[in-house]
Amino acid sequence: MTIAADTWTLATVPRAPGDGMPWGPGGFLSAPEPARGGAGADRPLDDTTRATGPTGPSDTTDTAAAPQPPADSDAPSEPAEPVGPESLFDDETATGTTLLRLAEQHATGVLLGDAGAVYLLDGEVVHAESPASPTLDVLLAAAGRLSPESWQDAVDQAGRHHQVGRFLVEQGRLAEGELEICHLGALFDAAYFALGPGAGQLRFRHGAAHWLGPIRPVSARTVARESRRRRELLDQVCPQPRLDVSPVARRCGSTATASCSARQQALLDLADGVRTPCTIAHLLGRPAYHVLVDVRRLAAAGLIGTPYDEEPLKPTPLPTWLGHAATAEEPDVALLRRLRDLLEARL
Amino acid sequence: MPGIDECLLEAMDLPGALGASVVEWISGLALGAVGESPNGDHEATAAETAELARLAAEYAAFSAREVRYIAADTPVEDIIVTTRTGFHLLRFVETQFDSSVFVHLWLDRATANLALSRIRLQDLAERLALS
Repeated sequence: MTIAADTWTLATVPRAPGDGMPWGPGGFLSAPEPARGGAGADRPLDDTTRATGPTGPSDTTDTAAAPQPPADSDAPSEPAEPVGPESLFDDETATGTTLLRLAEQHATGVLLGDAGAVYLLDGEVVHAESPASPTLDVLLAAAGRLSPESWQDAVDQAGRHHQVGRFLVEQGRLAEGELEICHLGALFDAAYFALGPGAGQLRFRHGAAHWLGPIRPVSARTVARESRRRRELLDQVCPQPRLDVSPVARRCGSTATASCSARQQALLDLADGVRTPCTIAHLLGRPAYHVLVDVRRLAAAGLIGTPYDEEPLKPTPLPTWLGHAATAEEPDVALLRRLRDLLEARL
Repeated sequence: MPGIDECLLEAMDLPGALGASVVEWISGLALGAVGESPNGDHEATAAETAELARLAAEYAAFSAREVRYIAADTPVEDIIVTTRTGFHLLRFVETQFDSSVFVHLWLDRATANLALSRIRLQDLAERLALS
């Protein structure tokens, strides 16, 4: 899935705080260290992406779209030399390459795209979010592990210090291992979408930190490699990418429930032809990628599909108790009279 | 209440321990790893052991007649693979949320005590997830 380098050219970063996340609330962002000189902490990344673009023509005539970065003393000078990880990641998308370049610079901030956000602290990934992926609180609340009120209370008390994760453990509301397992699952899940083909134009907002705080930082290289491995795994199971985004429905006539696990059965029960895998993931309180994998496995087994890839859906037969009344061919006059009489009697 | 790293380091204290990792078995992701890996790559090992764990966790052969796993991901508690030179212990971690995680401990067959390791790993996996 090589994407032309131009598609990934990073736009200038919006100055308004809420503009940074077209896909969600801007409230997640905060910039604890205001930029010096009022020029904003945002720095366009055109040079870095161009330098490591997968197609490699390191043409630097992109100045029209790229205002000069503010001359912050802490902003590393642009390493324009095309060295670095691209030899390891020839087939990685440009988003992964951008992430790696930011990690090399030990950057702190948030990488924003259309499909999500990846938070970096000193070059390591500390958090990721995507609208496709259930967040930590959704995962914990769906299983009844942590009530939304308890979560909100922790956010209210520790959010401004960016220590919500630490707070939950210190207050004994979550075990450290639990928090790490659940958060890592959510982080890699969201990063898979945020770094995926739907990322669109990327922006990097320097200095932004997430209120959850660092829990168990992972290297950007691990995140980029894992996202690629996950994509390959899906295609190995069943090469039908549209299953990820389309509504899914149980295949008519497939009654082989014995061949699927209890986890998959729960998924099948929610596959009504309207819900997408990501919607189902939110309902089940599972990482979205887990649902994608199960959908592909079920599709490979012929148990699930998109509603459009077979013959047009037959109209669902009406329940028998409706009888002829609902067919509207001719109204049941006697029934209507009785209804009217009953209603009038209650006036 | 140890975190992932403390749990792995504790597992490595067992006699004969060569390597340990915490792995998510649906995606094959290694959440953490210490020590050696049988094929020199913890991530590749995680992907392979995850596949084994998934089959055990999902196949009806191991879940029939089991009624005590409504909350857990799987009725399987652990998997033991014995090779000519080592033991591989895969212990499922029971969490109260949907996690699908296991701890993988690789042991030297000549020096390890399988029964002891199994009990200690069970204890570790429980403490990892319980507050």
